[in-house]
Amino acid sequence: MTITVELAAGPFEPAQRMARLTAIADGAGAVVSFTGLMRAVGQDGDALNALVLESYRGVTLASMKAIVADAVRRFAVSHVDVVHRHGRILPDEAIVFVAIASTHRRAAFEAVDYLMDRLKTEAVFWKREEGEHGSRWIEPTAADTDDAARWIKG
Amino acid sequence: MAGIPLTVDLCGRLAEPYGRSVAIEISVEGLIAGDLVDAIAAAYPALTQMLASGRTKACVNDAIVPFSAKVLPGDVVALFPPVSGG
Repeated sequence: MTITVELAAGPFEPAQRMARLTAIADGAGAVVSFTGLMRAVGQDGDALNALVLESYRGVTLASMKAIVADAVRRFAVSHVDVVHRHGRILPDEAIVFVAIASTHRRAAFEAVDYLMDRLKTEAVFWKREEGEHGSRWIEPTAADTDDAARWIKG
Repeated sequence: MAGIPLTVDLCGRLAEPYGRSVAIEISVEGLIAGDLVDAIAAAYPALTQMLASGRTKACVNDAIVPFSAKVLPGDVVALFPPVSGG
């Protein structure tokens, strides 16, 4: 099993990371990935110039690693690659990449879905939109919170 | 006895009124994180409302701690507003 969790200060190439994971995922029957991109339109429909993701020392990366560790315990996966930008991100740039390899596709699909729902609500970032409205801090949406709640076992 | 200066990092929107860190004096014995938050709210009034929301967390030496945790001189301390997530 390989687990890669990174915090990136600059742009990264999702296709390269996907190719690398696929190449090392010997015996995997499935490789599933998600790439989150910065949209040029904010939550309120305003045009955006940038998204700023503030992180804090080692705490942000540690929060990401803890979420990934939970995913590895919960799903039958063989390889994990997670990279998340911090700092200033421009429209159309990749913000986050999550890729999972597993023997069977269901675990890979669910693990990617789980990871994104938790990263979107729990990873230690503070997000600010910069656009025609100026600068505005944003928080997880109700939809993000509802999505993350799906994974809480009753 | 003069207090010992402690720098407290402010993350996210908490940094807007006074910048990314504020200074406060604490005793050599330290204090609990909850009392530190109260002291900062008193010393920096523009933070009072945000810190009173009950949603602030204390981070001491790179670990989020309960408000009952001790903060000592020399600790690396930050206050976190609710996270945005990634």
